[in-house]
Amino acid sequence: MSKKTINIPLGSQHISLLEPVRFKFECENEKIITVDSDVGFVHRGIERACTTKFKFDAIGYVVARVCGLCAITHSLSYTAAIEKLLGGEITAKSKYLRILLLELDRIHSHMLCLSHTCENAGFEAMFMRIMGDRELVMEIQELLTGNRIQFDYISIGGVNRDISSEISKKIIANLYEVKQRALGYMDEFTNNWSLSLKFKGIGALSLDDAYMLNAIGPLARASGLNIDVRNEIEYLPFDEVGFKMQTHRDGDINARNLVRLNEIINSIEMCNNILEGLPEGAIFTKLKGKPKGEAVIRFEAPRGELMYYVKGNGTAMLERVRIKTPTFSCIPAFSHIFVGENYADAPAILASFDPCLSCTAK
Amino acid sequence: MFNLKKYRKKSPWILHYNAGSCNGCDIEILASLAPKYDLERFGVVNTGNPKQSDIFLVTGPVTLRSRERLVELYMQMPEPKVVVAVGSCSCTGGVFRDMYNVEDGVDRYIPVDVYIPGCAVSPELIIDGLVQGLEILEQKTKEMEKPLKLFKESTCEEGIVNRRDTALKVGKIDEKN
Repeated sequence: MSKKTINIPLGSQHISLLEPVRFKFECENEKIITVDSDVGFVHRGIERACTTKFKFDAIGYVVARVCGLCAITHSLSYTAAIEKLLGGEITAKSKYLRILLLELDRIHSHMLCLSHTCENAGFEAMFMRIMGDRELVMEIQELLTGNRIQFDYISIGGVNRDISSEISKKIIANLYEVKQRALGYMDEFTNNWSLSLKFKGIGALSLDDAYMLNAIGPLARASGLNIDVRNEIEYLPFDEVGFKMQTHRDGDINARNLVRLNEIINSIEMCNNILEGLPEGAIFTKLKGKPKGEAVIRFEAPRGELMYYVKGNGTAMLERVRIKTPTFSCIPAFSHIFVGENYADAPAILASFDPCLSCTAK
Repeated sequence: MFNLKKYRKKSPWILHYNAGSCNGCDIEILASLAPKYDLERFGVVNTGNPKQSDIFLVTGPVTLRSRERLVELYMQMPEPKVVVAVGSCSCTGGVFRDMYNVEDGVDRYIPVDVYIPGCAVSPELIIDGLVQGLEILEQKTKEMEKPLKLFKESTCEEGIVNRRDTALKVGKIDEKN
């Protein structure tokens, strides 16, 4: 056994990556010893443009373009911050519609992550199955908002489109189908022998490490850490619609997959509860004035906690918009998990984090 | 004998690079490869290797750090190749236009054959654009097969023979005369 190490780069352009990120692995034989990561390839300068180029009522649609997968969480967080500054109260119906879309977005994002993890582990058939079933969710998102990915559904004061009884029927029917499929995957992920070789016991993060390294989102919940912003905030009535914390103890890739699947099923329950008891009323209230003062808002994106800090000075231009994204907080935990694993498992481990680099670099 | 020209049209391989997009178009590309839209019925395979690919899908306005890699990937692809700009921001810059770290659009750096607008692009449009790209690929292949002909004398300056601009494709000479 030689002590010589080899440097293997992963990225910035790689088949297993959706977005440019570069990891430099230093390997001794098959084992990874140190990891160096570089995440700044997609930095565009959105925070700066929010204070110089756009007026405050347009920024809700600009910050949605920070990330395509959690677009709804970004625009919701910004809008909630502005509503806090303007001091208006929005209607109950628009609050429930916001949660509905937030949870639909979470379902499709988690399904994408699961399918991508399977593809990177070499299970192409599972990738195709999950991506095919994901279209059921995309269909109802298109019905509800008019677009598949960038919804532009939330505006300051409410939401932009109303829901009709046909749409809600279609949503319930499709979500029932998705739930059956998700239960099927649950069986597959727990019992399939060849998937267990790739997922069980690989890329494990212990509870102490998750706490020490400040992991958030499904990554932390898979290690048994009870953190979910939906449990802690009061702007939106998450406890009324049946939110339940999903955790697991193992902390490996399999645990992350199961946490995501459980969250999908919980989100479907929440959507059904919302559609059952949707209150009547307007979907939009006009809020007047210009934002003045500071506001901090937190929301649970599909990947973890998202924080917005907004500072206004009473004019149409804001003074500062600060975005802290979930993947950025998780990078120390990512680097820690890679150490000691085989290089061959690196793409699957990376996909199981569900990294969002365009969020991170903004 | 294995006939490359015949099969290139039947099975174009794509290379995908994200030059600073918001992920929206990238997951729509994945979705169009998935069973519902099924781009693979045209023989499309997603490769990570520029040296084996025919169609280059670029998403995103080009950020300052990704432009070198973009040009590098373009240069490594063999001729004939087609560049498809996917999404409003890769066509013109979109919402990111005039931000400080962004070059507005892909066509500042590499020649683009097909522009697909939309934020985010729908999979139907991606399929449409790729099929149009296939026609362009076929045209380019035919263009490459045409022989070159010298239409003027090479110049000689200070003992160095300069053959610059002496050769043209056969069809173009007829237009010129």
